[in-house]
Amino acid sequence: MNLERGVAPVQIRAQRDGQFLFLIDSSMPFQMILRYLEKKHKSSKGFFVSAKIILDLGNRPFRFEEVKALRDMLRHNWGASVVELRLGQHLDSFFDWASKQIDIPIRQIPVGENLMEPVVVRQTCRSGVRVEAPMDCIILGDVNPGAEVIAGRDIIVFGVLRGIAHAGAMGNRDAKIWALSIEPNQIRIADLVAVPPQEDRHKPKKYEVAQIKEGRIQVLTF
Amino acid sequence: MPGTTIVVTSGKGGVGKTTTVANLGTALAMRGRSVVMVDADIGLRNLDVVMGLENRIVYNLVDIIEGRCRTEQAMIRDRKLNSLFLIPAAQTREKDAVHPDQMKELCEKLQQDFDYVLVDCPAGIERGFRNAVAGAQKAIVVTTPEVSAIRDADRVIGLLEAELMKDIQLIINRLNHKMVKRGDMMSTEDICSLLAIPLVGVIPESEEVVVSTNRGIPLVHEKRSSVAGAFRRIAARLEGEQVPIPADNAEEGGILSRFKRLIWSS
Ligand SMILES: Nc1ncnc2c1ncn2[C@@H]1O[C@H](COP(=O)(O)OP(=O)(O)OP(=O)(O)O)[C@@H](O)[C@H]1O
Ligand SMILES: [Mg+2]
Repeated sequence: MNLERGVAPVQIRAQRDGQFLFLIDSSMPFQMILRYLEKKHKSSKGFFVSAKIILDLGNRPFRFEEVKALRDMLRHNWGASVVELRLGQHLDSFFDWASKQIDIPIRQIPVGENLMEPVVVRQTCRSGVRVEAPMDCIILGDVNPGAEVIAGRDIIVFGVLRGIAHAGAMGNRDAKIWALSIEPNQIRIADLVAVPPQEDRHKPKKYEVAQIKEGRIQVLTF
Repeated sequence: MPGTTIVVTSGKGGVGKTTTVANLGTALAMRGRSVVMVDADIGLRNLDVVMGLENRIVYNLVDIIEGRCRTEQAMIRDRKLNSLFLIPAAQTREKDAVHPDQMKELCEKLQQDFDYVLVDCPAGIERGFRNAVAGAQKAIVVTTPEVSAIRDADRVIGLLEAELMKDIQLIINRLNHKMVKRGDMMSTEDICSLLAIPLVGVIPESEEVVVSTNRGIPLVHEKRSSVAGAFRRIAARLEGEQVPIPADNAEEGGILSRFKRLIWSS
């Protein structure tokens, strides 16, 4: 359940063109979503009659039954029409379903594959520099105090990490930060922040890794 | 062969750029080189005061650039050294009175006649900085062993690298050997490992600097001062001599001191 957002199972946003965007929570059981919408319908007192609704599944896997149930409910109970279905990044479930419909395996042609490639910085990141990478980020040099490296997944520093590093910036708690040495500074992984202790650290022989273990950021020295 | 333009810069203010330009310029002139120091700190000039030349100013840098005088007319000769000159900054003008291209043109012209053109850069990383850097082939970044100064130095080095400046060297000013020994100050080694540019010299903290600034005579003239020695060695290194830089824990000045670790500038 998404406690982070602490918000409704379905977020409803009015769009500029008069349509409504229904953002469906990605992890909540479908029954709770239906129940929430029923309650919403009662309290809305016919507000959504003949409304045009965009269903946005976000990162929720595509399940034909769920989408159909939502469509039918909105159409028959609310008097509204679903004009668009939006699917997020995880299209596998949709392709699975579609494959079954036509009884032919479907494979997606990778578009924007370069988005997945690591961003490589071939020099030391000095104070004032900010590097952003959609996935992994590799720094061939140090990251100095006052520099910031932000990555969707892992950060790998072939040098000393003294500045700020934020791995898994979109919320991926499996992301890690690798560096030849992680000096006391602020490191972030997903939604967690940590400052490695100043004193009593033995210098790494090879490298250090910061990762989330048991809900906390830990730095392992090798 | 044309001379070299060296910009002395720092990012953070008050770390010793002007002190460095005055002493290095004097030390190079004492070695027989022809040197012109350009005060690019428009609006906050003070190189003339440190050199004791304040009352000789008629024209300044902006006058040259705006064509109100010939370059030679704005050059003030040092009181002691025949081959040392100063082009003062304009006190009453803004930094955008000068354009980087104009500075570049001026430095190129001065290089024809002088072995060294030393540019005293204003603090900060804005227009004044870009002006000062525009004509330089070489940069000396001055920092003190303070965290804030080092961070700004790092920033400036990044900007210089972005301008494709290849020759960037470091001076650490106001090092207090006692404090380093106690572990209360960042050591030369720590600073060098962070900034990762060649070290060209370390200047100790000394009250003498303030006294000489007030008298308007660069400390390098003082034979026995440790600061003077440090600047003379930097001048020698700039000219390609291999003079070792004593490690922090070596007693500065003692000829037979134990040089445990020697840091060489490349
Ligand atoms: N090694 C030193 N020991 C003691 N005092 C010093 C030393 N170096 C510089 N100072 C003092 O620090 C002050 C600032 O020095 P200076 O004017 O050279 O710095 P600056 O970087 O040119 O400053 P600005 O950014 O304002 O131009 C002066 O009062 C100077 O006397
Ligand atoms: Mg100054």
